Amino acid sequence: MDIDDLLAEVAVDSTPQETRDLQELTRCWVAERVAPEILPWPKDLMDSVLERIQRQIELVEDQTGNMEPKTNFKLIIIQTELERFKFLVRSFLRARIKKIDAHPLHIKTQHAASLDTLYPLLSSTEHQYLTSHQSLLSSHYSSSFLGQFPASLQRLDDTTGGISMVDKPEEDKAVFVRALRDVGEVFVEGTDRKFEIKRGDVWVVRWSAIRQWAVGTGTGDVELI
Amino acid sequence: MALPLPPGLTPPEIAFLCEMELITIIPRQRLEGLELLGGPLKPLNPPHRTNIPLWLALLLKRQRRANIIPPPWLNTHSLTAILDHEIENEETFSPPPRLPPQPSNNTLPTSPPFLLTSTADAAPDALPYHWLELGEMLLEAASDDFEEPDNVRKLLRGLREVRMAKLRSGVDVLDSGGGFKMNGVGGMEVGEGRSFITGVIDGLRLDRKIAASREQQRKDRDREELENGYSGTAGDYDDDEMDMQ
Repeated sequence: MDIDDLLAEVAVDSTPQETRDLQELTRCWVAERVAPEILPWPKDLMDSVLERIQRQIELVEDQTGNMEPKTNFKLIIIQTELERFKFLVRSFLRARIKKIDAHPLHIKTQHAASLDTLYPLLSSTEHQYLTSHQSLLSSHYSSSFLGQFPASLQRLDDTTGGISMVDKPEEDKAVFVRALRDVGEVFVEGTDRKFEIKRGDVWVVRWSAIRQWAVGTGTGDVELI
Repeated sequence: MALPLPPGLTPPEIAFLCEMELITIIPRQRLEGLELLGGPLKPLNPPHRTNIPLWLALLLKRQRRANIIPPPWLNTHSLTAILDHEIENEETFSPPPRLPPQPSNNTLPTSPPFLLTSTADAAPDALPYHWLELGEMLLEAASDDFEEPDNVRKLLRGLREVRMAKLRSGVDVLDSGGGFKMNGVGGMEVGEGRSFITGVIDGLRLDRKIAASREQQRKDRDREELENGYSGTAGDYDDDEMDMQ
């Protein structure tokens, strides 16, 4: 380790929390846009980001009356950045809602199973959306046609006959990942394929083979790109 | 309300990511420090250089409040060397910039677009992850800050073509298992190649799955026939099936 390395290490440590949050939010957004399944809700991060956005909006509202050119330009910068943050958050949430809409019943069971862990799958508002949307849908189905079926055929989550009615996301889909740390040997289940992933590498792999190392779902040694 | 886009980033979204890259500017006007959401912005004092995110650099440039210093890899000399390297090595992309040392504590390592690969003191001999987007955006908004903007543009186009050809020829080695190394690939190239590459891998996997289940079915049927004593006709069946395929 030479002096440059030491200096760079100090630089990493001195990165302000705001900047680190932006980096993490960006990473979460890309991951959610790319991953085949919904990722755990990053509660701490979202709480602090949303609170800061709220404060910044109040600041802008406070100062909009000030027409002095200098302050005005500062305000333009602040607002431009605010819009960029709002875009990130909005696109992140919408990508999640898309997944919730696509696989509601599967996500519901997964969320219930994750409630005891540190990071449950959904936020409380997402869970609320999921349950109320589902109850609206099922009452609509039963009043429009399901109600006329025999009772044994009315279920929406039937698993008889070895085939489950509950749709699941395709976990074997290929994804692009970048290694943030050395991962070691990765083994693709069901094939005889093995390879070593080193820090900085970019790989195309099955999501199911890499999930245990991904940011959000595993050790955080690789990120989705 | 749900996002109507398929998985993967669209080109405008990749450009949005790229706009977070830090870039070096020489301010032409003073500006006090600002508390931004993504961290504090240092005061701008002409003529002292400073590193700011690309989106802000473009905003200042458009209002003629700053000049941009193009990154060291974005000039004719460096790009020519990189292009030569790309042409000599037909199989792989030119290597990405050297990684910064790994943080020793538990903080996650940074990655593009936050790696400082396009500031004035970045490495001159390697294309960073967002090379294409960044080059295009700077040439568009700040061509007067380049020495030879037209030649740089030409070289970028050359690089893009050489590398796209590699991306396409790489399809031959794709198979259903995945596990395909692509070091040095750029952000926009991932965006462009994603649906095709993952589509081929996923398609091959489904194909094999169907073939496997068909094989299993045939095994089951053969066994059944053997048990029922119709083994003599099994061969004819197989021939029929082969014809149909």
